Amino acid sequence: MPYTLWFDKAGKEAIGLVGGKNASLGELIKADIPVPPGFSVTTETYGEFLSGGGLKEKIESLLSKIDIQDVSSLENVSKVIRQLMAEATFSKRIEEEISFNYQALAQVVDVPDLPVAVRSSATAEDLPGASFAGQQDTFLWVQGNDEVLEKVKLCMASLFTPRAISYRIKMGFPHEKVLISVGVQKIVDARAAGVMFTLNPTNGDPSKVVIEGNWGLGETVVSGICNPDKFVVDKVTKEIGRTISLKECECIYDPVRGGVAHVDTPPERREIPCIEDQEILELARYAKRVEGYYGCPQDIEWAIDKQKPFPMNIFMVQSRPETIWSQQKKEPVLGKKSAYELLMEKALQRVKISS
Amino acid sequence: MAQKKGFPMPLEVEYPKELEGWEEMYPPMYMFSKDRKVWEEKHFWFHDKIHAPEAMYPLDLIFHEAWQISLSQYTTRVFCIPPAQGIAQRMVGCYMYITPVSPPPGEIIQEKAGLFQKRVFYVFDHYDELWGTWLKKFKALGEEMNSIKVPAEFPKFESDDTVLPEPRGYYTSYDVINAWDKLVDLMIKGWQYHFQYLNLAYLAYLMFADICRKLFPGLSESTIGKLVAGAYVQMFRPEEELCRLARLAAAVPAVSKILKNDIPADKKIESLRKTAEGNDWLVEYEKSKDPWFFVSCGSGWFHYEGSWTTKPEIPFGYLKGDIERIEKGEKIERDVPSIDKARAELAEEYRKLIKTDEDRKSFDDTYKAVRTIYKYAEDHLFWVEHWFHTIWFDKVREFGRLLVKSGMLKGVDDIYLFNRFEVPLIMEDMATTWALGEGVPSRFQYWQAKAEKRKKILEAAKKWNPMPGLGTPPEEIAEPFTVMLWGITTEKVQDWLKGMAVVPTEVTELKGFASSAGIVEGRVRVVKLLEEITKIQQGEILVCPTTNPAWAPVFTKIKASITDIGGLTSHAAIVCREYGVPSVTGTGIATSVLKTGDTVKVDGNTGIVKILKRA
Repeated sequence: MPYTLWFDKAGKEAIGLVGGKNASLGELIKADIPVPPGFSVTTETYGEFLSGGGLKEKIESLLSKIDIQDVSSLENVSKVIRQLMAEATFSKRIEEEISFNYQALAQVVDVPDLPVAVRSSATAEDLPGASFAGQQDTFLWVQGNDEVLEKVKLCMASLFTPRAISYRIKMGFPHEKVLISVGVQKIVDARAAGVMFTLNPTNGDPSKVVIEGNWGLGETVVSGICNPDKFVVDKVTKEIGRTISLKECECIYDPVRGGVAHVDTPPERREIPCIEDQEILELARYAKRVEGYYGCPQDIEWAIDKQKPFPMNIFMVQSRPETIWSQQKKEPVLGKKSAYELLMEKALQRVKISS
Repeated sequence: MAQKKGFPMPLEVEYPKELEGWEEMYPPMYMFSKDRKVWEEKHFWFHDKIHAPEAMYPLDLIFHEAWQISLSQYTTRVFCIPPAQGIAQRMVGCYMYITPVSPPPGEIIQEKAGLFQKRVFYVFDHYDELWGTWLKKFKALGEEMNSIKVPAEFPKFESDDTVLPEPRGYYTSYDVINAWDKLVDLMIKGWQYHFQYLNLAYLAYLMFADICRKLFPGLSESTIGKLVAGAYVQMFRPEEELCRLARLAAAVPAVSKILKNDIPADKKIESLRKTAEGNDWLVEYEKSKDPWFFVSCGSGWFHYEGSWTTKPEIPFGYLKGDIERIEKGEKIERDVPSIDKARAELAEEYRKLIKTDEDRKSFDDTYKAVRTIYKYAEDHLFWVEHWFHTIWFDKVREFGRLLVKSGMLKGVDDIYLFNRFEVPLIMEDMATTWALGEGVPSRFQYWQAKAEKRKKILEAAKKWNPMPGLGTPPEEIAEPFTVMLWGITTEKVQDWLKGMAVVPTEVTELKGFASSAGIVEGRVRVVKLLEEITKIQQGEILVCPTTNPAWAPVFTKIKASITDIGGLTSHAAIVCREYGVPSVTGTGIATSVLKTGDTVKVDGNTGIVKILKRA
């Protein structure tokens, strides 16, 4: 049973081992989409971590004490469980394997203490708690063996946030059936990053790719704390519609703090587009490819590397099905009308020309 | 009368004193008047920069008189587009203003709906055969106009054969008066034919645009235009004929050598006549000439533009360039099949993005309908505004020569200084004077003085910059022709209102329709009058009131085009897209803000023109 699996070795067939997010990275790689290298810490590892040291029994007993009517009891239990998990240690074999992979990753790209992003990747679909605002399941700019191990553990603990627990209780999911995997992925030192949709989320237009981006890491766009630049690209003609926002802050690596930080964007960069036209078109091309590969609209996170030359600087770091428009029933928008019926409709339209 | 902020009311317009007397050049119904004030002030009138960007010569107004009636009647009385009414015209200091008439009462709309349904769908179902009969009918009309005989002069005495063995019974006086009446009659009729299917073509286009936006809410106007535009358009034939002649010439060194010389066109023809090969080529040239070189050097709306037949230097100039390019191994022809293929592929790619089979079916059905009828909008243009108008101008010039010969007017083109209701007076004066015998004075001094005065007024009018709109600014504009052809939308009017307060030298950016994609920087050439088109240098950016498909060969020279007025389906936008020339149309103020020599950045993707450096 593998404790870890490289992204390119585990696609959707391995979802039980690596979780949804990591499996989707594996799929992207299969579709020839540039994805920063990395590996999953599998659900096996999580299982073994819980079984070791009686962690599992302790958690089960704590969970059984929750009074769902009492918010503070939920929060207390959640806090205790996460504390327990943070203080527990991985077995030597697990530690060694994660460290070995991390070192291998650092060697591949030839950067000692390679900064990585550590993210949770749940196996149960759509856990709303997992990415609930303010509850950390993603750690950026993690460096060195010890920190990687610590953050992997914290990601696993995110399965027991109050929201995640109450969601499972409400939905009747047994806690012990929900497993978690963690992704460890080389971080893109991004000049600009953001999200994109393979349809226009504001009106459902399937002929558009909508890209939102800001300077620095994509975190500011994902969390919505700044107004991103917005580019609407026509999938067929490649025409680009642009809305350049006043971008006041960005998320960058702060060497003093040894982590990422939100800083004020220098004035000269606030009102200029954060990505160039050729990058916009390349992103849109990838968006079309990802959508084509999955056969349904996608919501994709992307990043553009600071150092690498175009087009090697463009990476996709996440892709998930778009939920809002895709859930709507596919009803004809033209009401099954013929050309003449539509013409009659147009001809009867009110014409208003003066006030 | 409470005046709303912005546009002046028609009767409040102040004219420069040099324009004094302009009113008498045009028919009285063209004047804003106290007796129609209430109705006129309720409407919004805008300067028609598409068809009448320049100060209007009275006789050139005939086309407008004809379209006002024709366009309007097809909407109101013939095909009965339910909520729409006609488009009314007025003259304001030598410039033409138009307004879409406000909608009819509800019960009329209902009545029209029944007629519309019955009449319009029939046309759609039979369009291909109807186009065939239309073209036949229209060509016959043009031939009829061409066959009008204008006497070269009034004879001293009528010839024997008109008197013996049996007197003809009517003579030169009648011939002249009748020929003029007939010429005018045929022009009016031609314009009745002009709109036979045009309103329907535009309506179908708007319907298709609507359904495209329902399927793809963000689909750009220029893409919709590309989907509909045909590749096999008759307006391109003159250029295609040039390519054909250039190929023929390039294959025969004796011919190509002459055509490449830097000598006037008539000298080239003279040299070609001297050899057998040259004569063979001239036979082919003559074949192309009628009808295809009856193409205006401009829009076809102004007598002074000339055509490729009256200005042979233009086609011969293009021929020289084409032959040289052929010799360098370059391709001169538009790749029509691949243009058509690209359009079909574009449609297919969007079609694939449609989510349900039902919608795909509606799309296919509508696309087929619009592709069928929209051809009319593209094909009628050559036959009416170019071929037919060229015949008209040639005939009018014959009358002009007769008037000069008879001492009525000083210059051949002075006839254009009188409107179509006045010209018969001059004709009658001329014919009467001849009939009365020797030593009888005509009122030539009166006519010539009028002509001189009008020339001065028109000169002054050219220097006057008329306001874009008059009357009550609309809250909303949705009339098909207004949006389609003139590119007048609610937003546009708001921009004009803002623009009126703008100081041209302080403007740094213009906004218009993103008519043709691409971004370029370059030097500006402002072409306000059409004859200045020849001044354009390779790689300049053309700035003009409105672009024109007859300038097609110029599009290989320019980097981009910017216009004051024009929607995305105006005649010009199609050509710009096809030549891959970035274009921003409908900026409203480009010709008044930009000066030749300015450096600008044209963004045909966003419709924004940035002024980088002033000359």
